[in-house]
Amino acid sequence: MSQDTIIKIENVTISFWQNNVGVYSLKDLITQRKSPFKTKTILHDICLDVKRGDSLGILGRNGSGKSTLLRTIAGIIKPQKGTVTVNGSFAPILAIGAGLELELTGYENITLLLALYGTARRNTNAVDNIREFSELSDEVLRMPVKQYSSGMVARLAFSISLANDSDILIIDEVLAVGDQGFQAKCADKINQLKAAGTTILFVSHFPEGVLKICNNAILMEGGHITHRGTAQEICKDYQMLF
Amino acid sequence: MQNITRIYALSKRNVILRYKNSLVGFFWGFFKPLLYLLIFIIIFKQNSGIPHYILFVTSGLILWFFFSNVTGQSVGSVVGSSGLLKALNIPAYFFPLSETLSELFNLVLTIIVFLIIMNWGGLVYSPRLLLIVPCIILFAVFALGLNLLLCSVNVFFRDIGIIWGTIQPALFFLTPIGYPESNIAPHYRIFMKCNPIYYFIKLGRGIFYDTTPPSMHLWMECIIIAVGMYIIGQFVFNRLKNQFISAI
Repeated sequence: MSQDTIIKIENVTISFWQNNVGVYSLKDLITQRKSPFKTKTILHDICLDVKRGDSLGILGRNGSGKSTLLRTIAGIIKPQKGTVTVNGSFAPILAIGAGLELELTGYENITLLLALYGTARRNTNAVDNIREFSELSDEVLRMPVKQYSSGMVARLAFSISLANDSDILIIDEVLAVGDQGFQAKCADKINQLKAAGTTILFVSHFPEGVLKICNNAILMEGGHITHRGTAQEICKDYQMLF
Repeated sequence: MQNITRIYALSKRNVILRYKNSLVGFFWGFFKPLLYLLIFIIIFKQNSGIPHYILFVTSGLILWFFFSNVTGQSVGSVVGSSGLLKALNIPAYFFPLSETLSELFNLVLTIIVFLIIMNWGGLVYSPRLLLIVPCIILFAVFALGLNLLLCSVNVFFRDIGIIWGTIQPALFFLTPIGYPESNIAPHYRIFMKCNPIYYFIKLGRGIFYDTTPPSMHLWMECIIIAVGMYIIGQFVFNRLKNQFISAI
């Protein structure tokens, strides 16, 4: 692998067991006499190279395999076939609020996620940085996350994932929820990170966002990468879908 | 090293979550065993002919409630952690493991309180009590094995939690906790002997209550059951774990 390729995916196929319709419990298994699972292939033979410092937009309809691709790159899902080679570290993938524990307070969530991610020991100011960037007050961070508005959750989630100083930033539709001020701030921060050489993978349904952040993009359909090119080209292709 | 920090953070989260929004926190853990103790005293004490009946029952109850809490909490541990599992590259076995560890922490606190109070109930302080350390480690290994099995199967069949909740009380009454073993007629004892919990309760009682320490034979039985359960649990878990993400 050459020095400037940070992610290399070769012939990756991912399939899942899917519950056969109607078999969700042991009771169903006994009464319906169907095999409980069928295998469904989500990603077909995907190949993808991402260069260090590149920012790649991933577009596609719902269910085309975008999130599965991101999770495969992050090592959360192991491919049945093919190889994924990554030459860098990740920040947690934070889709809107996923990974936050609703019963815990903001601070407790921050310490938990930092410890799980392994940042706590490397960076002692991490908690302060997160509080500052999220613009959430001390009082709010002492409340359980279940009492937050969805915008506040997005602020917290995004700030935590940015606190990790990682080589690769994966963003799965986070920006859609914050208010305009915070969206602008996030876009600024992403551009800053980009300038500093962070590789960015950005999944979105909004071509405008992709155009603002990404140089290159891919379009996914039914588990295949159907189009690759510059962000402008792919955004046009994406809009042709509908 | 990083994994130890992560497991510690998750276990700490469990302890915090468990006592969140409760006024008396940790002491809730004593409420259930105390209630059962009371029921046992009312129903069984008179006819049991057991000296130091309260010590006899309590030594069984604290181990049983460790087991019952830890399995009850762990069944849903993988399903309940879907957010974290989908966001971070973190091994799924951390979740049943941290549930087991946080419940073990609770058991240690309970045993300390038990040791202090039970002096009044007839507990004899002797170096033998130290044997409780290997005893609860074995019991925890057994529980972890069962937890791995339950939480991984529960991902695909969500009624495992409900089924387990039904089996538990049956197991409880099959285990000689409130009554002596001799209460079960000889031709039914096979049921008692098939119940793995029986051996661990007997081991704990041998340490806290009986006049003679537990036999080498009983220790061996507990080691075999604990290691065997762990191997089965780990095997099933490993077979299923790659499919978790799509199913939670």
